[in-house]
Amino acid sequence: MAPTTHQRKRKAVTRDVDVPEISNVESEAEFGDALLEGILSQSEDSDDDSGEEEEEDSDDENDEEDGLEALDSDEIPTDGDSDAGKSNGKATTANGANAIVEKIIGEQQLVEDDDKPNYTITTDANGGERYVYEEINPVYDSDDSDAPITTNTIGDIPLSFYDSYPHIGYDINGKKIMRPAKGEALDALLDSIDVPKGWTGLTDPTTGKPLNLSQDELEILRRIQTNELPEDGYDQYPATVEYFTGIEEIMPLSAAPEPKRRFLPSKHEAKRIMKIVRAIREGRILPYRPPEEQKEEDEEVHYDIWQDEVPRPDHIMNIPAPKMPPPGYDMSYNPPPEYLPTKAEKQAWESTDVEDREKEYLPTAYDALRKVPAYDKFINERFERSLDLYLAPRVRKNRLNIDPASLLPKLPRPEELKPFPTVCSTLFRGHEGRVRSLAIDPSGVWLASGGDDGTVRVWELLTGRQIWSAKIGDEEAVNAVRWRPGKDAVIIAAATGEDVYLLAPPVVDPETDAASRAILDHGFGHATNAAPSLTAHGAKKEPVAKWTRPGTRLEDEGVLIKITLRTTVKVISWHRCGDFFSTVSPTAQRTAVAIHTLSKHLTQIPFRRLPGIPQTVQFHPSRPLFFVATQRTIRSYDLQKQELVKIIQPGARWISSFDIHPGGDNLIVGSYDRRLLWHDLDLSTRPYKTMRFHSKAIRAVKYHKGGFPLFADASDDGSLQIFHGKVVSDMMENATIVPVKVLKGHKVKSALGVMDIDWHPREPWCVSAGADGTCRLWM
Amino acid sequence: MGRIKKKGVAGQAKNFITRTQAVKKLQISLPDFRKLCIWKGIYPREPRNKKKASKSSSASTTFYYTKDIQYLLHEPLLQKFREQKTLEKKISKALGRGDAHDASRLERNASRPEKTGKTKYTLDHVIRERYPTFVDALRDLDDCLSMLFLFANLPSTPTVPAKIIAKCERLCLEFEHYLIVSNSLRKSFLSIKGIYYQATIQGQDILWLVPYRFNQRVTGDVDFRIMGTFVEFYQTLLGFVNFRLYTSVGLVYPPKFDAIKDDQGAELGAFSLEGNSVGAIQQPKQITNGKNAAPNPRLQAEIDKLISQLNNGEKEDKDMTNAPTGEDEEEATETMDKFEPAAPGGDILPQPSYSATDPSTLFSNFTFFLSRETPRQPIEFILRAFGCKRIGWDAVLGEGAYTHNELDPSITHQVVDRPPIQVDPDTEEAGDNQTAQKLQRGARVPGRIYIQPQWIWDCVNDEELKRPDLFAPGAQLPPHLSPFVKKVRGQYDPSAPLNEQEREDEELEVETDDELEADEDDDEELAVQKPTSIVDEEVDTTAAGMDVAGSEDDDEESDAAPESFGGFSEAEEESEDETTSAALRRQRELEAELTGVQLEEKVIDPRTKAKADAKNKAAKKAKEEDEENERAKMMMSRKKRKIYEKMAYSNKKKDAEAEGLRHKRRKLEKSGKAAPRE
Repeated sequence: MAPTTHQRKRKAVTRDVDVPEISNVESEAEFGDALLEGILSQSEDSDDDSGEEEEEDSDDENDEEDGLEALDSDEIPTDGDSDAGKSNGKATTANGANAIVEKIIGEQQLVEDDDKPNYTITTDANGGERYVYEEINPVYDSDDSDAPITTNTIGDIPLSFYDSYPHIGYDINGKKIMRPAKGEALDALLDSIDVPKGWTGLTDPTTGKPLNLSQDELEILRRIQTNELPEDGYDQYPATVEYFTGIEEIMPLSAAPEPKRRFLPSKHEAKRIMKIVRAIREGRILPYRPPEEQKEEDEEVHYDIWQDEVPRPDHIMNIPAPKMPPPGYDMSYNPPPEYLPTKAEKQAWESTDVEDREKEYLPTAYDALRKVPAYDKFINERFERSLDLYLAPRVRKNRLNIDPASLLPKLPRPEELKPFPTVCSTLFRGHEGRVRSLAIDPSGVWLASGGDDGTVRVWELLTGRQIWSAKIGDEEAVNAVRWRPGKDAVIIAAATGEDVYLLAPPVVDPETDAASRAILDHGFGHATNAAPSLTAHGAKKEPVAKWTRPGTRLEDEGVLIKITLRTTVKVISWHRCGDFFSTVSPTAQRTAVAIHTLSKHLTQIPFRRLPGIPQTVQFHPSRPLFFVATQRTIRSYDLQKQELVKIIQPGARWISSFDIHPGGDNLIVGSYDRRLLWHDLDLSTRPYKTMRFHSKAIRAVKYHKGGFPLFADASDDGSLQIFHGKVVSDMMENATIVPVKVLKGHKVKSALGVMDIDWHPREPWCVSAGADGTCRLWM
Repeated sequence: MGRIKKKGVAGQAKNFITRTQAVKKLQISLPDFRKLCIWKGIYPREPRNKKKASKSSSASTTFYYTKDIQYLLHEPLLQKFREQKTLEKKISKALGRGDAHDASRLERNASRPEKTGKTKYTLDHVIRERYPTFVDALRDLDDCLSMLFLFANLPSTPTVPAKIIAKCERLCLEFEHYLIVSNSLRKSFLSIKGIYYQATIQGQDILWLVPYRFNQRVTGDVDFRIMGTFVEFYQTLLGFVNFRLYTSVGLVYPPKFDAIKDDQGAELGAFSLEGNSVGAIQQPKQITNGKNAAPNPRLQAEIDKLISQLNNGEKEDKDMTNAPTGEDEEEATETMDKFEPAAPGGDILPQPSYSATDPSTLFSNFTFFLSRETPRQPIEFILRAFGCKRIGWDAVLGEGAYTHNELDPSITHQVVDRPPIQVDPDTEEAGDNQTAQKLQRGARVPGRIYIQPQWIWDCVNDEELKRPDLFAPGAQLPPHLSPFVKKVRGQYDPSAPLNEQEREDEELEVETDDELEADEDDDEELAVQKPTSIVDEEVDTTAAGMDVAGSEDDDEESDAAPESFGGFSEAEEESEDETTSAALRRQRELEAELTGVQLEEKVIDPRTKAKADAKNKAAKKAKEEDEENERAKMMMSRKKRKIYEKMAYSNKKKDAEAEGLRHKRRKLEKSGKAAPRE
């Protein structure tokens, strides 16, 4: 209890000096005075402690009133106890905070009992007033120390109601509770109050006074914090003070005389030395010699390492390093002047990247040897070479050191290959629409052609004059026109739609004309005489083809026989004897290939079934063989044995046409996939040569049948290509095929160029049928 | 169905090993592996299929042959490398402990391996393995010599210690000595890079390059550790090769080396060769003991001959060339006959080259004196290798000369490489007064042939003495040609006259080309105008009459497809052109008649006509050939065609190069800058 009273007393005293203290709080010196005063008053208090109780009480009361006053009149509105304490504490000391709290509680009680004082005033022994307090009845209620301190004194009213007022409500006495200080105001206050120098906020435990630190003490603290010696001017390492000095004292410490051994040589040592001397003399101990370094150089001993050399063949995988190429003329220090680069070459060399240069040096000429400078890339080049030797992968590369011309196949001179058609000599104009097919008659005088306009025309080959024409197809085009072989009669077979007509054009002398008519008419009666074949049901079987007369109009023109088949006929091919001809109608399944006998007016179907769609057929020129081309293969059948002989596989996607060499052992095949294939029938079923020189499909191919080693193909790109294809009788030698000429002239119309081609039977001439409605003779 | 094959156990996957794998397998560091590869001659391979060879998915770059690496596993050097590594570790550990004494002891022990019971490594066995026979070693000597000669000329640096350089120099000089003794040097060539030498030893041609004596420029991107590894190997190799060569000619190897002489710059002279049984081979003594002694009569005769030859000039020269042929006919039995095909078509067999003169006697009768500006080392070497015994030089050039006295009367040839100085007659007279040893500047000693260094090289390469007047000091030197180029038909040969090697009419063509180039700028407009007018008239003529042919032409021109074969159409077109032009002329004449205007005859210069004809002819011919080739190519298989095209490309490039050179030369000859060579 003693300290609190002290405090109170001190407080009271300090209150007396309150005014000057606040006013002069800035000056340190005066603060120091105040402190001193405080101390002084404290000592006075302790002195007066014994006899001044009333004064103490009155002081208390004053104090309390003062506190109230402070509450009311203070500029800083205080709300809670803590705030008040704080402010007060700030003003005085923090230590007094507890006391202030008590004091304020007391205040409140005081205020509550204001109307009915709980004391009676009596007179004491001195005659002064004395307050005699009633005995406090310690009922349960009276002690409210356990009750929570009400902090809310403004009631259950939201603070927002007072937003526009300086106060926030009313206390129990109806006084305004001012808005507590916040943030800025507090800071301002704190700034205005300066903390005294040396203030620590601690209490000296021995004296109970606030512990303030002096400047020196602070300095010491700083030194300790920074790991310095706390004491200023302390020498940690003072110079040593020697107890004994090196200086010889004048007066010796000991007066003993020198021992004898100091003057006499040691016998023992002499013995040992003699031992070493003896060893040296005897050579047992050698004097020290530094190790020689020169010796190792001479170590390298050379000997004949190849004394017993045995040649060893190189390992098969070993590739010796290639040697550096020898220098050329341009590397000379004085090269011939033509090797020197021109200005442009020099510039080009300099502008290219170092790695891209063909030569790493630029030829330069020096007129004297003394002027030749050092080659600045010498070391680099040698280094590069070293790197190449051990880093570069070595690959053996075979270089063909031959003349490239020796690779070229030996082709005969073009002059040797002549004659072959080179220019267009005659143009046959007259057809409307495409000319689909054409043929030169066996005598080589006339040309027959058939086209989209449904007419068959016969022309004089050399002049291009139309001699005869007959319209056989009403709406349908003439798909094929072929002369009957043999010079005894002049007969044309022409196909339009499902019908095949046999014509005898009246272009020759009447005897031949009559002969042809006789040949055609000879068959009438045969077919009718023959017993009609019956089906299994006994019904009369529908014949494959009907041989009839076409009617008087056509008969007058020279069209003598009409053969009606079931589907459109695309191809006609005569047998060499002129009695048979075969037709192909690709759309018919079973009856696609038909063989007609002219002398008997008979039509037969040789194949009941064919693998694939037949495209074209050919009779072998000398043997009884019959070739049928389907889309991908060509099959040859023996007509006598009636069996399949061979299947030829040209490898083309879609065969358009083929032709058999007059020798009979070779075959050319044209295909819609632009290929022209030469087959040697004896060699293999695969092509011997494949030629792809056309940009469009090949429509027709044809051998020259009259002794010239020529063949030609016609393509949709509007060109004909003439080849020299010599077949030798020697079995060991392959045929030589030489392309000799491209004939251009036909115009391409609706993606079609040349439709058909035929050779003159004797001369090296050929004719072509174009989609542009013309035929051309090339010679 | 057979068993499923496991991947990576057979074939390429097993035959090849990547570098990383190899290093791992050998358990050495990469630099050690590099060293091993260099010494053992192991090089990377290119697998046929890289993907199959590498086991990992990432693309490895370097593959080695697995068996090569396996074979390295048993290499004694590998053990040495490992020992070295442990020693280095020990030393570094000792140094780390701060025990310098221990470290130095370890190092000392390593440098004295015989004391510690371990031997230092040698590369002898590697040489024996790599080159089972001596000829194998000779075959691989090109790079060895080039490298060692380079190192012999390098300045000493921390990376290239002086010891190595000295050793290289010694080995090289020893090798040169062998070449001198055996006269096996054949050719030499002064190039811009250095001097090439070619020697033939036991039938093997060895070609190497020696840099000019300058301080070599060393750039940073050269790793001297790699070069050092090579040099170490090559030194051992050349040591053994030298030993074998020396013993084969009955000499002791190593020859005695006089360090004092070498310090004075004697170079070749610092060595004294010793016979196996006899003493040192006698160096030629001075034949004259001063100025009063008479020169060798034979020598004098030779000199006289040369001088007279000089005086008489070309006429003599021709006589000279004629004379030996006469002699040859007499001695036909002795010399080798040259087989030349009499008729074309036969195969040409390789024939041993024979030389009329023995290389050991080419310079044997002469005494040379080298002026101080000439490069002494190469000249001395070449002269000695071709039989010259007495070579003197200026004292500046070092020790070992036959004489340092320029006025020595025995000197027959003086090699000079400086321009002649026009000497004032006054000063010359003044000089005459003084009886000085030294010659006056620009003065010449009479009775002596002055030549530039190139004379020696050209003599050596052509194996005959060249006319010295062409190589006189200050003269414009004839071009120095490489003796290593093999003459291939069709390739440009600068020594042959131009008209022998050019194609027919090439000159005319090129000329017209040139003129065209020159004229192009002027005539451009005219050239554009002319053809159009011709076309117009052509159309007119076709409209007039010949309908078929005319339309024909047009079609042909328009329909020319690129992939079609040419046939012979072009030639005909040509003829058609001619016919049309004839027709044109006729048409013009007719018109002129109608209008009554005299048709002025074009005056055609016969020369220009010839040129145009030549050009046309050439173009036509080329076109025809092209067609022919095209036709032939069409009949080839694709693979063959590719090969053919590649070859044709490279040939064409070579031809173009040769033609360019010919063109340049023609120009030069026209302009008179270079005289036509015969």
